[in-house]
Amino acid sequence: MAVEAPAKPTLADKIYDKMFHNYVWKSIFRTGYPNTPRNQMLVVATNVFLHLHPTRIHRTHVKVTHTYCLGGLSFFMFLGLTVTGILLMFYYVPSVERAYLDMQNITTTVQFGQLMRNMHRWMAHAMVILVFLHMMRVFYTGAYKPPREFNWVVGVILLVLTFLLSFTGYLLPWDQLAFWAITVGSNIAGSAPVLGPKTRFWMLGGFEVGPESLIRFYTLHVIGLPLLAAIFMAVHFWRIRRDGGLARPL
Amino acid sequence: MATTVVARPVARPQARARDEEVLVWPDLVFIEFIAAMLFTITLFFLSVVVNAPLLDQANADVTPNPSKAPWYLLNLQELLLHMNAAMAGIIIPTIWLVILGAFPYFDRDNEGQGVYFGTDGAVKITIIAAAIGFFGTWALILWDSGKVAFFLHDWFRLSGGDSLRFLESARSMQSQLPWPDWSREITYLPFNLRILDGTGSGGPTTFQHLDFPGWLVEQAIPIVFIVGLPSLLIYGMWRMGLVVTRRDALLALFGGFVASYGVLTLTGTAFRGQGQELVFPWELKVSEGIPGQE
Ligand code: HEM
Repeated sequence: MAVEAPAKPTLADKIYDKMFHNYVWKSIFRTGYPNTPRNQMLVVATNVFLHLHPTRIHRTHVKVTHTYCLGGLSFFMFLGLTVTGILLMFYYVPSVERAYLDMQNITTTVQFGQLMRNMHRWMAHAMVILVFLHMMRVFYTGAYKPPREFNWVVGVILLVLTFLLSFTGYLLPWDQLAFWAITVGSNIAGSAPVLGPKTRFWMLGGFEVGPESLIRFYTLHVIGLPLLAAIFMAVHFWRIRRDGGLARPL
Repeated sequence: MATTVVARPVARPQARARDEEVLVWPDLVFIEFIAAMLFTITLFFLSVVVNAPLLDQANADVTPNPSKAPWYLLNLQELLLHMNAAMAGIIIPTIWLVILGAFPYFDRDNEGQGVYFGTDGAVKITIIAAAIGFFGTWALILWDSGKVAFFLHDWFRLSGGDSLRFLESARSMQSQLPWPDWSREITYLPFNLRILDGTGSGGPTTFQHLDFPGWLVEQAIPIVFIVGLPSLLIYGMWRMGLVVTRRDALLALFGGFVASYGVLTLTGTAFRGQGQELVFPWELKVSEGIPGQE
């Protein structure tokens, strides 16, 4: 491929060349910097993160007002929550004796601990709202219609998982807000006919919110539910591609 | 109706319009990057300014008043005030999630997909359904709190006398009507239905004797409202010629749902004070629940 070189390379061109056309860079990104259509498609197809996308997409779908990026932002919140969550895990021990003290520790002595906790909290709220809004946008664009029926169902499962992730996380600070919110919430679950009391017992690991509940909620919150959510998100994204991209008018 | 099972292409329902396509890099990746940055920066500054709450250490002996679930469950907690707990907390949300998941299997027509409100009358249906859901839910909450009767009486000096007191709220039908004693204990099942109740947490079984006034107020009336009002809405809009297709019916149902879900969440969050009394947001105070103090 003939690359048109500028007559006199400027300083910027030289720096550009040094940065993107050296041996190390090319060993990581085989395509070089994506500045030609060919490389731009290659980078999307070969990069493990970008290849969630197709290489090309219908022009109506890049309009911000079509999706408002709501699905993408839900996913971005999930990633951000993973990062801040891992940082919080360094300092948090899910035992009744330590949990609350650890929270105090995080918010007072740990460097940027308060910031991490705040980010984790507000991102969690944002994710619940974003997922709900995403569902509304999918509904109002009629994007659940064939052949996307099943992806809508996967979406409903993701909605429930998002609620559960948020709910299990709510107990972990082990303060009055957490304790009583989960008490109220699990009482709601316990009221189910026939299976209710058993469900509540399994959920809490006892008759009341206590040490067993804390470790259960913690395990579900940091590994069980995120794993499930990641699996369903993988299916969700895969199906978008398999169903022919986003919905557009016939 | 087996003939309606028509084979359809699995992967691509529509031919790709390649000349209408743009490159994902840079067009889409750029937008995604900007959106991600906007959110990161906004949430970062929010986190710098507003701290996540951390109250006193958990204490099972000290109950705050009101005790509330996380905000996205307060819609259910609000429902709980008006009906049987199992219905509000489990049965209604479960059935609704199943209905929601079944949307695409009910409305299988491709018409109007890929654009907002892509069918005739979609906007109109949505606005009407949302308005009815919004005001209807408020009206029901107000009525069931007894506030409507209170306003009528205190502000307009209107009173139906004691004979109409049973209309003040759903519960007053249970307490203000002259139910005969037998109606509060109708035996209808000769055996205990609680199969898995070995945990000792359940009180006396509710299955063998039916408290009819209680059942009426806790279950029958709420079911009639929750099933009846949306059905009536869709039926009415169908008679008016607004709802024609299945998509239209779903638009009405979903619009009404979003509005009333929003009202329930908002009421539960901002309008429920101590003892779950209906109050204005600025009157809402939480008592820390120091033992021995109200
Ligand atoms: C954790 C939750 C979720 C994530 C991360 C997620 C992510 C995404 C993303 C990135 C897209 C691409 C287009 C866009 O951004 O709008 C998408 C599309 C879609 N989502 Fe979700 N989603 C989630 C929940 C849901 C829910 C709750 C539903 C519905 C009940 C749903 C149904 C769909 C459908 C049907 C599409 C295809 C839309 C079209 O063809 O236009 N998703 N999702």
